[in-house]
Amino acid sequence: MISKNALQRLEQKHPWIGIVFFLDLIGGLALTMKYMFSRTVTMQYPDKEKWMPYPRYRGHHVLRRDENGENKCVACELCSKICPTNCITVVPHENEQGKRRPLVYEVNLARCLFCGLCEDACPEEAIALGSTFEYAAYRSQDLQVGCDELLNAKGKTEQGGCVVSAQFFPDDNARVEAKEKAGYHWWRNIHRQKDKIESSVQGKDR
Amino acid sequence: MELIIAAIVILIKVIVIAVILFIVPIPLTWMERKIAGHIQQRLGPMRVGWHGLLQPVADGLKLLTKEDIIPDQADRLLFKMAPLVSLVPPFAVFVAIPFGESVSVMGYEISLYISDMNVGLLYILAVAGLEIYGVIFGGWASNSKYALLGSLRTCAQLISYEIPMGFSVIGVIMLSHSMSLLDIVNAQQDIWFIVYQPLGFFIFFVAGLAEAQRIPFDLAEAEGDLGAGFHTEYSGMRFSFFMLSEYLVMLTISILCVLLFFGGWHGVLIPLPAPIWFALKVGLFIYIFMWFRFTFPRYRYDQLMNIGWKVLLPLSLFNILLTGIFIF
Repeated sequence: MISKNALQRLEQKHPWIGIVFFLDLIGGLALTMKYMFSRTVTMQYPDKEKWMPYPRYRGHHVLRRDENGENKCVACELCSKICPTNCITVVPHENEQGKRRPLVYEVNLARCLFCGLCEDACPEEAIALGSTFEYAAYRSQDLQVGCDELLNAKGKTEQGGCVVSAQFFPDDNARVEAKEKAGYHWWRNIHRQKDKIESSVQGKDR
Repeated sequence: MELIIAAIVILIKVIVIAVILFIVPIPLTWMERKIAGHIQQRLGPMRVGWHGLLQPVADGLKLLTKEDIIPDQADRLLFKMAPLVSLVPPFAVFVAIPFGESVSVMGYEISLYISDMNVGLLYILAVAGLEIYGVIFGGWASNSKYALLGSLRTCAQLISYEIPMGFSVIGVIMLSHSMSLLDIVNAQQDIWFIVYQPLGFFIFFVAGLAEAQRIPFDLAEAEGDLGAGFHTEYSGMRFSFFMLSEYLVMLTISILCVLLFFGGWHGVLIPLPAPIWFALKVGLFIYIFMWFRFTFPRYRYDQLMNIGWKVLLPLSLFNILLTGIFIF
């Protein structure tokens, strides 16, 4: 460090030294060399890794079941009323036990903007936005999701916001399956040179 | 009988070198993309083959199957000729380049060069200069303003940097008393010429960057201001010929740097076989070329001309003077 400071002082005293020996170019080369051997920030999705969303993530809709395994939804239609894009269709009916239940509960995922208002409006905490984010389809009618599919969809995650190793199955029903529960935080490999930035700002002031 | 065997050996050597030169850009493009990726904290190609090793093959197949477009108003003959004209000189240069002294195979001494010309260096500089024609033809025949501007720039750049390049080599010739590359390398058996000629090496390297049209001197294909320079209108296989010749020029410059200033195949400290030492040094230079590419921005056109004529040319003349005094 001492020798480096001495060099810098020498350069400030005699600016021609920096010009003759291309010190600025060498500094640039040293920086790129450092980055060359730093860890990459690439997440290898879908081949090897997959990102697990946070618990607060708003993805594919999910309908929750009560303790008897029945649909919690009472078809009050509040979700479809509050929906800004009108993407939820609810048709209520009375089932055998005389309870109000949805005959039709359809969500148009192609139109949904994932604002989460349906989740807020629901008095029974039946509808929620789950953690699934891989539901791309070839036809738009495949994105019109019915009651059964919503009941089977994956709910909120407990622990998320991490990158886990995964396997890619590139068949007709292509999917990426996570192989472990917890992984590393996605920001692990991002360079943060806070002290460096501060020192350079101070250098400018001087 | 002797004559026939000698002719067959030369023929085999020519074929082997030509095949190697056609294949060499494949690992080089892979290397360039990997280096680019890692400098920018990416991984680069990863999906085709182990760590993307087969990516250049996939790209080559893609280029082969692409539509071969010739613009409407283009000069068709020149347009078709230009990629080949720019491809021939880099191949022809390798006739004079030695890769090592000789190896004995089955009691027969085989030299690791096609021809040991007594004017090898002059031949290389002269033939490499012909590459400009491909660029001029390509830019002119495309009948497009970007291509024409790109080719004009390239011509000016190549011509002005050939002069300091030629002058910077004179110091080496004065020290080794020969223009044959074999003699030059053998003269560096004990001390490499980089020790005597640091200034000469610097000029040669910078001029070489400009000759190979690499960043920071890649004005020929400045994407930002010219589309893609002289090969704007080219696509498919013809475009890949231009790329091939560009990579071969880079390889030639790296090889010349090693042969003229870094002792060729003579190693230091670690005793390795001569060709391996040679390949290691050339690889290092190619790495430096790529490292430069992803570190520096491009020079402006007037800066390019200033560096060529006002800095490198006087410096190279000064270097000749200095070497002369030193020898005297």
